[in-house]
Amino acid sequence: MMTRIAPFSRLTLALALCAIPLAPALAHTGSGVQEGVLSGFLHPLLGPDHLVAMVAVGLWGAQLGNPAIWVLPITFPLVMAVGGLLGISGIDIPFVEPLIAISGIALGMMVALNVRPPLWAAAILVGVFAVFHGYAHGQELPEAADAVAYAVGFVVATGMLHLLGILIGVLVRWEAGAAAVRACGAAIGCVGFYFLLGAVGIIA
Amino acid sequence: MRRAARLLALAAALALTPGVAEAHLVDTRLGDFYSGALHPLTDLQQVLPWIALAVLAAFQGAARARWVVLAFPLALLAGAMAEMVLQLPTEAPILGLVLVAAMGLAVAAAARLPLPALIALAVVAGLLHGAQNAATMGPATDRLLFISGMIASGYAVVTLGIGAAIAFLRGGTWRPIALRAGGSWVAAVGIMVLGLQMMTRAAAG
Repeated sequence: MMTRIAPFSRLTLALALCAIPLAPALAHTGSGVQEGVLSGFLHPLLGPDHLVAMVAVGLWGAQLGNPAIWVLPITFPLVMAVGGLLGISGIDIPFVEPLIAISGIALGMMVALNVRPPLWAAAILVGVFAVFHGYAHGQELPEAADAVAYAVGFVVATGMLHLLGILIGVLVRWEAGAAAVRACGAAIGCVGFYFLLGAVGIIA
Repeated sequence: MRRAARLLALAAALALTPGVAEAHLVDTRLGDFYSGALHPLTDLQQVLPWIALAVLAAFQGAARARWVVLAFPLALLAGAMAEMVLQLPTEAPILGLVLVAAMGLAVAAAARLPLPALIALAVVAGLLHGAQNAATMGPATDRLLFISGMIASGYAVVTLGIGAAIAFLRGGTWRPIALRAGGSWVAAVGIMVLGLQMMTRAAAG
């Protein structure tokens, strides 16, 4: 005897079957815009040292509350653009990779220790690190097939990582959530420390 | 049970018959209209300032934003017509990137602009992009259709963008902040690519 399927389950099953094998519409594969956006978008995501620092910016902003919650994520891309210009220009800035790793440690520790400096001090700290993150991205820009698309990709990815940090940071409204956010900060600091050891050659 | 089987069959039929992506609409009767409509949408250097212009206009309120709905498509038309008699200046790409950066910064700052400044921004963007798009027309292109498509596209993006942004702004206090963050993203892109263009030009002499 067959088991009856509830109407809702049937509909869900039908929708799922519709969705899974959809063939991609390969209208313009390999176009500059598509590949540029994708490679730019993946650049911050594939570098865990970048990734955790970006999330930490959002976490710290959420932890500090209004107005830092929006000042930091709006300021970051603009200052990052300045760093990007330095990277594009080919100006040699030493210790970029260690400083990016240190940004993860510093921002992670700010979150873990719930440090609450004045807004201007937080903005300066985040801004200084933004220059180095922007520099690393900017170095890749001249190589991109479509510079605008690449820049859109990595700026959007950076913004999304800030947003992720802010969304996690909303947990600070609850006591257990605040502890979880601080634990996230500590974890980010550890990741930053790991990459610092790698950047200075202590570990492979 | 039969109904479930029918549903499954329908799902399988839908799944196994994906539509063909008609990317090249030039083969259809109104091909050049679609070419004109799609051309600016495939160029982020044009789409970004269009969206930024729409959001900036929305920040000024509905009454002022209506002027952009009128001015921008007319400026696109004027730019396209001007390109037919004048040469597109070599600085056009630089000006385009300056517009991306400037509009992004204005959105990030949620700047309140005087109405003439808002209209002037829309007119400059329209003239430039109208001319840039028209410059891509080939000898066989139906100019009327291409330019009509481009203007329709510009009108649709800016009008829908303004409407969506105004509707979005009616709500929580975080909503303007979200739009301003988007503006800072646009500005960052504009600043970096503008820098790249200028340095490349300087290196080329």
